[in-house]
Amino acid sequence: MADDAHRFTGMYDECRQRVWAYVVSRAGRQVADEVVSETFAIAWRRLEDVPEPALPWLLGVARNVLRDNLRAEIHREALAAELRAWTDGDVADEVTERMGVLRALATLSEDDREILILVAWHGLSPTEAARVVGCSAAAYRVRLHRARKRLREAMEAGGEPSTSPRRTGNAPVLPSMSHVRNLSEEWS
Amino acid sequence: MNPIEELRAAKPAHLGDRPVDERTRAAELARAMSEPRRPAERRRRAVRPVWGLGLTGAAAAAVTAAAVVMSGTGTVPEPYEAQHVVTGRPATEAPAVRLSARDVLLAAAEKAGRQAEGSGDYWHTVTVGRSLYVAEQGGYQVMAQDRNEGWTPSATGGEQVSISRSLGARPATEADRTSWEQAGSPSEVRVKVPGKGGEGKYGLIPLSMSPGKVRADRSPLVDGDKVFWLGRNVTMKELRDLPGEPGKLKKWLMASYEGHGTESTSEKMSGDAWLFQVSVGLIMDMPVTPEVRGAAFRMLADLDDVKVAQHVTDAEGRRGTAVSVEERYERGGVSENRLIFDEVTGKALAHEYVVVEPGDMQEGFEPGTVWSSTVLLGAGWTDDRP
Repeated sequence: MADDAHRFTGMYDECRQRVWAYVVSRAGRQVADEVVSETFAIAWRRLEDVPEPALPWLLGVARNVLRDNLRAEIHREALAAELRAWTDGDVADEVTERMGVLRALATLSEDDREILILVAWHGLSPTEAARVVGCSAAAYRVRLHRARKRLREAMEAGGEPSTSPRRTGNAPVLPSMSHVRNLSEEWS
Repeated sequence: MNPIEELRAAKPAHLGDRPVDERTRAAELARAMSEPRRPAERRRRAVRPVWGLGLTGAAAAAVTAAAVVMSGTGTVPEPYEAQHVVTGRPATEAPAVRLSARDVLLAAAEKAGRQAEGSGDYWHTVTVGRSLYVAEQGGYQVMAQDRNEGWTPSATGGEQVSISRSLGARPATEADRTSWEQAGSPSEVRVKVPGKGGEGKYGLIPLSMSPGKVRADRSPLVDGDKVFWLGRNVTMKELRDLPGEPGKLKKWLMASYEGHGTESTSEKMSGDAWLFQVSVGLIMDMPVTPEVRGAAFRMLADLDDVKVAQHVTDAEGRRGTAVSVEERYERGGVSENRLIFDEVTGKALAHEYVVVEPGDMQEGFEPGTVWSSTVLLGAGWTDDRP
């Protein structure tokens, strides 16, 4: 028992903001602290199960917490607000390109957005990201390839939906997550 | 340009790696660590009693990567030296006698090997964990206390159940009580826990001075059949089939030793120190046969730098004999890791950490202070469902 809490606080300090950023990018700031708090409470209870590096495991847990605890309409509103926050604000010349990417991103499905963001923003390797979403690394690469293609199309279309409407307000809540049910349990 | 690269460059600033503010950090750590640990996880701590300690684990955080100081020779341990006795506060009233650690442990092995053994559907244990903390304001010491009760099924495919409850923290001594009262007898005391940034840095968690809610936790056995951690996860059958001969038992256990500590892969630990840790867990409260418990005592008798002190008192006031090793921590300080047992029966009473040299989170504690303890109130087989 000598250093459980030390290990835990170390893990918290290393990963907390990254888990927070992931949750914000999935569900917005309004709910992020609550989800993060619950995620680390689970991590403490299951400290022996947490592998090294801990981040992909923590993101997987946070993902399940989101899925299990967030009411659909709250999630939708919070995420919509977050996506607006990404693309509102300063439109000075040097940032318009940035805004274009973010607007394009906001038009993608939640699945595509997550696939892209895990790699681009959260610094995960495709293998680690695959663990978070609960698919094989090979499947992840395929999904990443497709998502990247759709992002490019959306960017070329000037931020308008490139295919069928995928506006966040209409997006199904956390679609296609049933296949990762009990992800964290599977790792234990 | 690769859209992924563009996307990376476009990451909103607020999602960047900024530090979490201290209040949020304290609140989230406190919330997480106020919950009991789940039993029977993938890597059960050998030194931990069967059931998680909840908050008391936070005190344990005072200790970081531990390197137990032990010599590498195969000599018989020196007779115990009185000046090395570390007393729990107010644990030891009588001075330790000079006695061969080996003789005491071999005698305990005899007694342990003759213990009666029951049978039943569940292995049931009751423990109380205690940890010492320093209040942020006032600097007095408070002792957190948690009671934990656990049931582990003898059959595969079942659930482990734990029921735990904080018994409420209390001022450690009468002087501490006076300081607490001078502070207005707060119902919740914010205490220091290890923080980020190494020595001298600490976080804060609130400790309630009154008993908390009863928490029940049920979880399926890991892999459907793993019940305890003994260097690796083991099934009830493996535990029951452990060899009763010390050499074979040592070989069996050491097969899981990988050169690092029981708590972290980054912490180096000698084979003997590791074996001590694992053996303490085995002796303390695992459902092994009496022969195996006896063999574990014999194994300890053959370790170097193991000390024995008689006439030690545990946190429940029970007299016993302590077998111990010293642990030196990277963050500072030296503690004694000790198992207290009843020489008459060979049964374990408690597992404690005692300050030898103050340092890090034990900086303000006098040598001899028991800063973390787990007392075993009962362990045995039962047919009663939890």
